[in-house]
Amino acid sequence: MNGSIADVCIVGVGAVGGILAKQLTSAGLKVVAFERGPALKTAEYAQRDSISYIARPDQLEGVRHEPRIFRTSATQPGNLRYGTSPFNVLGGSMLLWTGQASRFMPGDFKVYSNEVASGLADRAGVDLRGYDVVDWPIGYDDLEPYYERFEWEFGVAGVAGMNPFAGPRRKPYPLPPLKMTARMQLFGEAAKRLGYHPFIGPAAVTSEPYRPPAPYDTRIPERPACVYCGHCNHYGCHVNAKASTLHTAIPVALQTGNLELRTNCKVANITTDDKGMATGVKYFDPNGVLQEQRARVVILSAFVFEHVRLLLLSKGNGKRFKKGLANSSGLVGKCFFGHGDMRVYGLFDNFIINGFIGSGAAAMRIDDFNGNNFDHTGLGFIRGGTVGCSGDGAPVSRMDIVPPDVRSWGKEYKEYFMRYYTRTFDIHMAPETLPRRDNCVDLDPRRRDRWGLPLPRVTFAFHANEKRMHLFLADIGERIFREAGASKVWTELPRPSPTRQCGGTRMGTDPNHSVVNGYCQSHDVPNLFIVGSSVFPTMSGYPATATISALAYRTAEYIERQRDWFH
Amino acid sequence: MKLKSQSSRQYRGERLQALTVRQARFIDAIAGRILPVTDTPGAVEAGVVFYIDRALAGPYPHLLSRYTRGLRALDKHAKRQFGASFEKLGDEQQDSALGDLESGKIAELPNGEAFFELLRTHVLEGVFGEPSYGGNKDMIGWKLVGFPGQQWGYPETYINKAVDLPPITWEGLPKKPGQS
Repeated sequence: MNGSIADVCIVGVGAVGGILAKQLTSAGLKVVAFERGPALKTAEYAQRDSISYIARPDQLEGVRHEPRIFRTSATQPGNLRYGTSPFNVLGGSMLLWTGQASRFMPGDFKVYSNEVASGLADRAGVDLRGYDVVDWPIGYDDLEPYYERFEWEFGVAGVAGMNPFAGPRRKPYPLPPLKMTARMQLFGEAAKRLGYHPFIGPAAVTSEPYRPPAPYDTRIPERPACVYCGHCNHYGCHVNAKASTLHTAIPVALQTGNLELRTNCKVANITTDDKGMATGVKYFDPNGVLQEQRARVVILSAFVFEHVRLLLLSKGNGKRFKKGLANSSGLVGKCFFGHGDMRVYGLFDNFIINGFIGSGAAAMRIDDFNGNNFDHTGLGFIRGGTVGCSGDGAPVSRMDIVPPDVRSWGKEYKEYFMRYYTRTFDIHMAPETLPRRDNCVDLDPRRRDRWGLPLPRVTFAFHANEKRMHLFLADIGERIFREAGASKVWTELPRPSPTRQCGGTRMGTDPNHSVVNGYCQSHDVPNLFIVGSSVFPTMSGYPATATISALAYRTAEYIERQRDWFH
Repeated sequence: MKLKSQSSRQYRGERLQALTVRQARFIDAIAGRILPVTDTPGAVEAGVVFYIDRALAGPYPHLLSRYTRGLRALDKHAKRQFGASFEKLGDEQQDSALGDLESGKIAELPNGEAFFELLRTHVLEGVFGEPSYGGNKDMIGWKLVGFPGQQWGYPETYINKAVDLPPITWEGLPKKPGQS
């Protein structure tokens, strides 16, 4: 397709890009998809090796070329950070994710209406100055059919109806839940005794061999069942039980004959014409030579940092985009957020947990303190987070988890770790962070990557709403551990950098206060789409994957309908 | 000359790739305090020094100068505090010197806490990481804590039940059909 005009250019082929590629090529559109990294074979990413994937992620091929700068205030120069989100290879971070596949709750889309305009924030006693809370332009009902398609095409295991706080659904989960583990049993029983509502968290991990039935996409190849090796989070799955587009959507897209995949190609900017329409992309080929691909539609599906960077780098020639592409609102890069990464730890003298066995996403959770599911009166914060058990991991993942009263080295440490490695788990919180304009992503003024492009720079800090929420949730986790019979319990509050990053190109109805509309379409550049967690106006207590996948299906359907764009 | 320098890099039956023999001995002395021998083997027996040597010779060459500087400062501190090289001190004095490093109390080494954290992390990675990276000899680290290694999977989830499987590495797994 070199030299000719593609119907669609996709930038980034992970969860979102894989789904878009499958849907659009299946509709007969000619797609050229760019992926920064290589196409790896299972044996190349699924060694389940704790030195490579836990201790040295900075050395991974999908990570080492894409650092970012991180700082907690605008007055600091910031430090270089490497992270596996995104993991820049074909299939993306979905190769290394845990597999947590929860839908957002209906209330997650209406935080402004439900919690700010309603006066709830005032009753909670929270000062929201500095925050920028808005509603989504779409709601749970708009996404419900696409959540369903995600669950049935990727094979989600769970129990419909078990979580009383979940939104309504037309269909159950396609797979029964994964096997119960010790931590699920202890957490579930304790939470129930405390009067909470434990449920088995939905996991995009096959509890049985799975192939999607009709009316879903039956071209997707069968995947075998999970073997409970315990290496989910941060590792590749050696049996392909954990869902990824690499083994589902991408092979189907390639089979159509309508997809040209360009791996090891780094998109450098989006090109535009005099009318302000996107005309394609410029990219560095595997030899580092700048090339151009023209397209009728350009879709960014490459994660938060790259979306912001590409838009800010794509200024065009005239004045129109001098603040960056799709940025007439000035909001590109603003309102960046994520989850606080916090855990409560518990040690058990009377129970063997064997946390290294199981499936990362197979967890018991409660939503009693998520979103707007509980009375916030007088608490000093709004929103919350899901609370669930976790704690998988080889010893390298666990060696730094030391109770505050135990020295972290020496004989005392050795005795502690030998006794408790098999007798511990974590209660993991996913506290939501409210959006603010001073939490943002922009371009570092000095530091550049191997292609000579400025590194993305993150400025982020937690503020009063989050800090109070963190303490509140820590107390819930500690209470559950004590009820479960833990002999020692302690909390690690979040470090000042968010996980599961979102925001930066938020969606909304008003072009002055958002970057894209409810179809992930740029307000300013109608043939430019930005799909992924960067469009979230607010977060949820849940990870993003199910929701960004649902957005990808919905956006693909919208683009397919614009037949006059493609002739 | 080349031959001589190669043979002088022999340490505990292996050839060092980045560290000098003297540095290797020093690291072993430290490793022996970070995860000591008790009635079970510790970091020295796990071959942590070879994990660190391979890391410095491979992906982290820029850390070698931090090691050189840090070890020199720690040794100087030991001599000043206790009148002898770190390696020659008794367990308690070694722990005390390491404690000073951990709390940043060694004057010649600004940010000594960070060097201690690097040492501790490398030593423990060398004990508990995959043996193919040079440490965790005979899966000593995994046996210490009861980790069965990179098992293909588990037939059950062993709820409140000890796992009695011998540890295994990825390389030691039987090949399954259909894996690319």
